[in-house]
Amino acid sequence: MRNKIKVYRAMHDLTQEDLAQAIGVTRQTILAIEKGKYVPSLDLAFRIARRFDVSVEDVFQYDEEPRTVDID
Amino acid sequence: MKKNSFYLLVGCIALALLALFWYSVEIHNPFVIETAFILAILAIWYARKNVTDLIDDERSAKINEQAIVRTFQVFWVLFCAFSIGAVMQILYVPTFPREFPMVRPPEALGPRMMGYFQLGMLCLMIFLYVGFRVYYARKYGDWETDEE
Repeated sequence: MRNKIKVYRAMHDLTQEDLAQAIGVTRQTILAIEKGKYVPSLDLAFRIARRFDVSVEDVFQYDEEPRTVDID
Repeated sequence: MKKNSFYLLVGCIALALLALFWYSVEIHNPFVIETAFILAILAIWYARKNVTDLIDDERSAKINEQAIVRTFQVFWVLFCAFSIGAVMQILYVPTFPREFPMVRPPEALGPRMMGYFQLGMLCLMIFLYVGFRVYYARKYGDWETDEE
């Protein structure tokens, strides 16, 4: 799962601490999400997206693994 | 209540429990420490509810949950292994041909040894929990640093 939280934070001039306080989590959680160490729940993903007034898909992108197709 | 006051309170409760444990041993009354332990847990739980500056978000809940699950997995394996051995002693079947008078083999795990084993298990669980807690905290980015 990739995300653009850092980009949106920069656009809204928010620090990790500001965003964390706005959505009720710790700064460490924001940092972990940004670095891809932690995948947030749907609820938290929506709260983050709402804070930036965008949709969840704008902030989070699902990395679909390339599927292998058997060709005879 | 502030976070640091809470930690201080937990430390004081732990010391009080230690003193009560010793007192309980001296007067040969286990109910003192048992009651004190339950009351201490209730006091810590109530104090934790009133901490204002400790944010418990979903990531920390997940770290806790994972650490507890892993600790219990190890606990069940050890506990079952020990219990099987204990049950084997209860189900003592004399070998044939029977010898008279029947001599029961000495118990490998007497009540005293069981007490030590339980104490050891308790200590092991605490260390395992702390170990797993550190592992999952690391995994979910607790000690990550940023340029901010």
